Amino acid sequence: MRSGSESRRRIGTLARLLALAIGTALVLSFPQVAPNPYVLSAGVVIVNYAVLATSWNLVGGFTGYISLGHGAYLGLGAYGTGLLVTRADVPSFVALVIAAAIVAVLAIPIGIASLRVRGASFVIVSIALVLILLLVFQSWASFTGGSNGLVVPRPFPGLRRPEHHMVFFYLFCALLALALLAWWIIDRSRFGLGLKAIREDEDKAQALGTPTFAYKLAAFVVSATFTALGGGMYALWFGDLDPIFQFSILTGAYMVLMALLGGVRHLFGPVLGALVVGYALEYFKLEYGDTQLHLVATGVLLGLVVLFMPDGVIPAVADLYARFFKPQAASIREVSTAELLAQRAAEAGAQPGGGDGGPGGEPGGTSVPTSAEAKR
Amino acid sequence: MTAATTSSPPVTDGLRTVGLTKTFGGVTAVDAATVTFQHGKVNALIGPNGSGKTTFFNCVTGMIKPDSGRVTYRGRDITGHAPHRIAKAGIGRSFQLCRIFPRMTVLENVLVAARRTSLGALLGSPRGRAEVDRARGWLTRVGIEHLADVEARNLSYGQQKLLELAGVLMGDPETILLDEPAGGVNPALIERIGTLVRQLNAEGRTFLIVEHNMDMVMSLSDHVIVFDRGRPIAEGPPSVIRSDPRVLEAYLGV
Repeated sequence: MRSGSESRRRIGTLARLLALAIGTALVLSFPQVAPNPYVLSAGVVIVNYAVLATSWNLVGGFTGYISLGHGAYLGLGAYGTGLLVTRADVPSFVALVIAAAIVAVLAIPIGIASLRVRGASFVIVSIALVLILLLVFQSWASFTGGSNGLVVPRPFPGLRRPEHHMVFFYLFCALLALALLAWWIIDRSRFGLGLKAIREDEDKAQALGTPTFAYKLAAFVVSATFTALGGGMYALWFGDLDPIFQFSILTGAYMVLMALLGGVRHLFGPVLGALVVGYALEYFKLEYGDTQLHLVATGVLLGLVVLFMPDGVIPAVADLYARFFKPQAASIREVSTAELLAQRAAEAGAQPGGGDGGPGGEPGGTSVPTSAEAKR
Repeated sequence: MTAATTSSPPVTDGLRTVGLTKTFGGVTAVDAATVTFQHGKVNALIGPNGSGKTTFFNCVTGMIKPDSGRVTYRGRDITGHAPHRIAKAGIGRSFQLCRIFPRMTVLENVLVAARRTSLGALLGSPRGRAEVDRARGWLTRVGIEHLADVEARNLSYGQQKLLELAGVLMGDPETILLDEPAGGVNPALIERIGTLVRQLNAEGRTFLIVEHNMDMVMSLSDHVIVFDRGRPIAEGPPSVIRSDPRVLEAYLGV
């Protein structure tokens, strides 16, 4: 039995590695198969979304603190990079790293202020920050360029447009790999377990000794930093920044939608969500141009996800698969009589140290789900 | 397995409160409560509904900041400390309506309470052999080890209560505060929890139990403190409390 489950697990791991290799190969070959620069640039946008959604998930998915204002870190990363390049002549990618570091430092006091409140209050606070930054960057035109925009020189001036897209496609992929790696490491760590405990029941986690505030803050800073890297990379790729798009609640909402759609408990959930939402957004913009139809579609999609797949696509599909192909995986409450007897026998036999000091058998008593208990 | 705390005769350097007060708006939930719990014993806190027991409990464990007064533990002032610091000081607690992490497995629920050894260990796996063994040990002790890999939300309420207890024990607290451990569970399970408390107490752990089940209180505790209107009105061994006229009037409704 044990060796069986062991080998099954090994096969599962192998299958996953294989799927990962195939997925990676498919993604990396995209620039070669993309028919024209427009499709390639749409691919860049989608990978950018994947970076942002995965970054958002570092705090939203682990701790359950839903930030609608992650556009703030995106915008700060983008403008930080752009301004460092244009005003201080810092080399492009050095500027990107410095801007992300600045955002990391800024995220500490912002996190200290905003993570004090939970639930809806946290959502509102997160929105407030984006709106403030939007006004600041629009009004302070002498420094930021205001609504006229800020043109960021390209890091590789020699490249033609398709090559420029291709290089940035791979750069965004590298950034995505980094964000996924961070999520994966945290997911498997003690730190991650503590964060998930916060998501489940923050007070309880704290009562069990988890320094919840420090945990939340650390996750928040890491998330903001990756979001800033995504924003800064966008600035270098797109080359033109406007506060209304950079400090947008809409971008924050897209990150939430993508993560929720794919599944916040899964490494690749936000990536899948970014693929679906990113593709849909491009489609609607292409087909219906400047109408607001893409917003309507986004809203409908969000509604459908929350109603029918509250845990996202990945768990929904997994549940469906389990329902049809794994009928033996029954609820734990359905314990057969034979199993029950075996459990009791095992318990009566082997309970040396902590055995009941009480009267001998106490058969109705307890560890095994008695029928009355089991039906609750 | 776990290092037992001092098993010397009753000491008073355990948990104490002096003039602890907490008001909500115009209501004084805890009113200048001065209580000394007997270290190394099973203490029970009883009183009618709304007498401030749970608020008192929450002030002691840091969930609520008291307006005034002090809480000391083993001579150290822990008033207003954050709950995780109080947990680290050696005080574990359960919640009134049983709180667990529903979307984690039973084993993970317990592992959350494992003490981290260093900052670097934070990024390590929580499933170190020693930690898992200890967690499984506590699950065995409360009798739900066979459910270790089940998601906690699938457990019955009684099993969840046992799980919560295992989680508290994983933190290796020398003082354990239980908020209504017998609430909403069947008699057989009450018996089991009572037995566990007795054993753990014999191993050197101090208990403070808020409970309405008088049978459990009278049979289990060494020392009973009666709360009424936010402050203790009587304390003593169960046999004395049972016949104290003030208690009968305030609580038993006679």
